[in-house]
Amino acid sequence: MEELILELKKEIIKVLNLEDMTPEDIDSQAPLFGAGGLGLDSIDVLELIVLLEKHYGIRLANAAEGKKIFTNMENIARYVSENRKR
Amino acid sequence: MKWTGTTYGNAWMHKWLIRMLRHMDVRILYAFTSVFVIPVCLLLNPSAGIIYRFFRERMGYGRIKAALGTYTNHCLFGQVVIDKFSMYAGKKFHVEIDGQEYYQKLATRDESFIILSSHVGNYEIAGYTLNQDQKAMNALVFYGEKESVMANRAKLFAGTNVRMIPIRSDMGHLFEIDQALQRGEIVSMPADRIFGSQKKLSLPFMGEPADFPYGPFSIATMRGLSVLVLHVMKVKSRTYRIYVTPLDYDREAVRQEQIKQLATSYAEEVERIVKLYPTQWYNYFEFWNNEPICANNRRT
Repeated sequence: MEELILELKKEIIKVLNLEDMTPEDIDSQAPLFGAGGLGLDSIDVLELIVLLEKHYGIRLANAAEGKKIFTNMENIARYVSENRKR
Repeated sequence: MKWTGTTYGNAWMHKWLIRMLRHMDVRILYAFTSVFVIPVCLLLNPSAGIIYRFFRERMGYGRIKAALGTYTNHCLFGQVVIDKFSMYAGKKFHVEIDGQEYYQKLATRDESFIILSSHVGNYEIAGYTLNQDQKAMNALVFYGEKESVMANRAKLFAGTNVRMIPIRSDMGHLFEIDQALQRGEIVSMPADRIFGSQKKLSLPFMGEPADFPYGPFSIATMRGLSVLVLHVMKVKSRTYRIYVTPLDYDREAVRQEQIKQLATSYAEEVERIVKLYPTQWYNYFEFWNNEPICANNRRT
């Protein structure tokens, strides 16, 4: 799981252009959205949807599912490990 | 001043306007608004000052020409709103298309593509009337729009291949966009106003830096999609001309560079159209910032 979290952090830094951050700067349990976390915006959600699809073959069905998954890095990694197709 | 994004008037007014337009020549209503409504709007509404400054500072007009341009701009805006309701009333407009071959080329392919619009001219009147037989069109629209306007749109596009995707606070619209793109459909969205996501790009536009939304360009480059810009300009009382322009970007470049290239091409195309039809600039808010230009203002 730790390996997958690190891989996801690296990918997220790349696709979201968080060039001033390293994987170590991202707390795996910190919220992705809002203050006190990674501070992601709604448009970043689409980047994450496409990232899961391209890298792991996961297609999310709706916003409700997305809301459950995109809470923090640990949650994303857990979902990916349980549902990945590649 | 911020853009509120809604059509003026309540449901009752919209209903009566549509009823009237079923029987009335639109030119009568044009004349009425130009003589009785627009002068009052110019006195009471801050949009007059915003457009006057647009003509003075961006177009370099003298005082009298700028004042006349401001009046004409508001009259034309009144006319395009009337035309929109006239369309809801079932009336048709003559439409000329410049660059239809670019649309046809993409519409016959399996891949999805993006259409970017702007608040120059009247996209709604004809932007959806291009042939959608081959591909469904999904138009991203502002959720705060009046229910009556949304209902009229829904009625107008019932039985067609055009679907509306309202921007929602629960981000559901992002999933709908993604699914439409996966199905190989068209997604159309305005790219000159920042709404939903607050991420923006500062680009040179009409001689000064201006903020453009980051989202539309990010969505297009995420999957390396082809992009068209559509402008629908009023050329006569019953005639519109559609300008279809393809935008190019280097799909091999790094993502941020792709976004920058695409956004710059878009701003250049909007500038070209605005210079051709300066009185059809309908962004009634302070469009230009005075901050230094940078490629990507994240987290603003």
